[in-house]
Amino acid sequence: MLARSAIVRKYALRKLASTATATPKLTDVLIVGGGPAGLTLAAALKSTPRLQHLKTTLVDASDLMGKVAPFYDSPPENFTNRVVSLTPPSKSFIETKAGARMLEDRIQPYDGMYVTDGLTNATLNMEKDSMAYMVEILNIQSSLLKRLEELNLPSESLQLMDNTKVASIEYSDPEDTTSWPIVTLDNGEVFKTRLLVGADGFNSPVRKFSDIQSRGWFYNRFGVVATMKLEYPPYKLRGWQRFLPTGPIAHLALPDDNATLVWSTTEPLSRLLREITPEQFTGLVNAAFVLEDSDLKYFYRQLEKGTISNEKLLEDINFRTEQVYDSLENDDLIDEIYPPRVKSILGPSRARFPLKMFHADTYCKDRIALVGDAAHATHPLAGQGLNMGQGDVEALIKALEKASMRGHDIGSLLSLQPFWAERYPINNMLLGMTDKLHKIYGTDFAPIVALRSLGVSIMNKVGPLKNLISGTLSDSGK
Amino acid sequence: MIPRVTVRRLVPQLRPGVASLRFKTTSASKDEIGHFQELAPTWWDVNGSQRILHLMNNSRLDFIQRIIRQSVKVEDPDTYIPGFQYKAFFPQQVSQGIEDDLDSKINEKLKDAQFNVLDIGCGGGILAECLARLPITRHVTGVDLTPDVIKVAREHSAKDPALSGKLEYRLQALEEVEGTYDLVTCFEMLEHVDVPAEILRHAWMRLKPQGILFLSTINRDFISWFTTIFMGEYVLKVVPKGTHHLTKYIKSSEIKEWFQENEPHTHKILDTKGVMYRPFNGWAEHDCPDIGNYFMAIKKLN
Repeated sequence: MLARSAIVRKYALRKLASTATATPKLTDVLIVGGGPAGLTLAAALKSTPRLQHLKTTLVDASDLMGKVAPFYDSPPENFTNRVVSLTPPSKSFIETKAGARMLEDRIQPYDGMYVTDGLTNATLNMEKDSMAYMVEILNIQSSLLKRLEELNLPSESLQLMDNTKVASIEYSDPEDTTSWPIVTLDNGEVFKTRLLVGADGFNSPVRKFSDIQSRGWFYNRFGVVATMKLEYPPYKLRGWQRFLPTGPIAHLALPDDNATLVWSTTEPLSRLLREITPEQFTGLVNAAFVLEDSDLKYFYRQLEKGTISNEKLLEDINFRTEQVYDSLENDDLIDEIYPPRVKSILGPSRARFPLKMFHADTYCKDRIALVGDAAHATHPLAGQGLNMGQGDVEALIKALEKASMRGHDIGSLLSLQPFWAERYPINNMLLGMTDKLHKIYGTDFAPIVALRSLGVSIMNKVGPLKNLISGTLSDSGK
Repeated sequence: MIPRVTVRRLVPQLRPGVASLRFKTTSASKDEIGHFQELAPTWWDVNGSQRILHLMNNSRLDFIQRIIRQSVKVEDPDTYIPGFQYKAFFPQQVSQGIEDDLDSKINEKLKDAQFNVLDIGCGGGILAECLARLPITRHVTGVDLTPDVIKVAREHSAKDPALSGKLEYRLQALEEVEGTYDLVTCFEMLEHVDVPAEILRHAWMRLKPQGILFLSTINRDFISWFTTIFMGEYVLKVVPKGTHHLTKYIKSSEIKEWFQENEPHTHKILDTKGVMYRPFNGWAEHDCPDIGNYFMAIKKLN
């Protein structure tokens, strides 16, 4: 009996295996990854007249339909903690080319950045109307999913497969790297694709398959994010960033009395920031924008040792903050040079992630294209990460449009080359700029501190120079 | 008066060797066939010896598409047909809108076009494959005289399921080709044959009335020698050595004269464009078709 059932099972398994490898489904574009880049690409492909005919398949490991899509029709009251800065070109690409309408009441445009040096208070005050928009990643993703749903495409045109992982990728002819890749999914389905797009993030399986090297380094720093409630809505709608010697802390506006925080810091401190109570965290955030570095160091030490109570800490921070306020020429300056005070943080919204700088040697090979984090990873201090991915998608769409118009095979290297030729230099510039900023501000070595402060003070007074920087940040280097 | 000398250049004396090889006036010499035989294995390597040809193919397709689209008359009264330099007068968004509108109207008209195409001297199929993928073509036939490149062309096209049934390659001399076609293309080919006039004559015979012949070759002048042979083959080495022979180059005026003489009332030259290679930047069209490489589109009138 036992033996028979074993044989039956073996037979059934073999049959399953053989049907899985028998006839792969043909598709023109297989996108791995349903993040903002992957979804934007799918929606843009299906919204571009010259590319609509391409059979598109999108595979994502997460529960897109169950967890992401419902955000659009029933968004939560509170803001989620994954918030990004979207530049005007990125926003307009999502709206016009991909045809998605994001939830406008959850988007906050801001009109500048107020950047200070944590050691010398040298300031760069960039002002530009609607320099960029703070948007929740879920808002972007769900609006794109909504767009795809509204297009109401048959499954021959678009197939969206969530809760599905890529099990393996191989060339249909192992000897020929220009042959169509065969992608086997963990649900047993097999696809043979003309073009395989890796929108699958930093640990991109597609990039690994492509054998494209990605070079860079970890900063040994972590980003801590949180969603914050403010004591009062901001007086000025701008981003606030203060470069502490341990890394920059950024306070970015969301609608009404909401704001989001990205605090880049060392590994032990990031652990501490996650472990302390929400009240202590709130106090430290308020302190980090106003107090001196030595004050902050004192608080870190006390918190690490656990020798300070909540009340004592908050009292101490308030006292020292008042002292700083009193030293100002007049009280109006408080609203001018410091971000609005944080009332509380949303309980479960604290999270941390490692910071790094990586760049792939190329973004394409025959049959393969990499977009977004699969091709590059950057420090969040300049707010460019997601926008670089959107720029990639825009350039890829443009290249595919051109190739399709000329009758090229859209998976051929010749069709894809213009895409990476357009993107690589821009991304390289933005990655390099961000990396240098991190390094210049990552030190408390006095001569460097003096030089950077002098540089920033000069930049702050020379209008054209300042406009060049704010322009670069709000156009993603275009 | 037609200057006989230049016309005669298109019809050189048949060399005995060539005639005995295949007894075909549209044949190519043994040397030429041998040369392309060597290039066959790397034909589709876009970073290899034929990269510059792959890049030029982009310009060919842009040229072909433009000529075809220009020949479509949009009669819909609701469509605004822009005049000269409209882009200078309208804001970018408006002129883009006008373009898109006109574009979609032309697409509608071309949707049912379904051209049959003959690609003479198809080589590894760089142009033929692209033509076959265009929605406006029904079928593309590619002919060439080099057995290995035809083999490469067939193998390469078999890799793309979208091409099945739309593309056929034949190892065949042009004069053996039968039937007539809506479009006949003859790109970078005339400068590799011994009797270009015979190619023109046969290509013209294969063209349906109202059909369009697309051809390209290289002007016989110092600039062409300097760019295509000296720089291309010897200095930059972007073209395989021995690809070109200056004496076989044909001036654009000679092509025009040939048509004047042989088809005086049945042809219309739709456009002639010079094309030049810009290192790192691909090929660009220009308005001096008497220098270097050029494209030509000739329509067959009833």
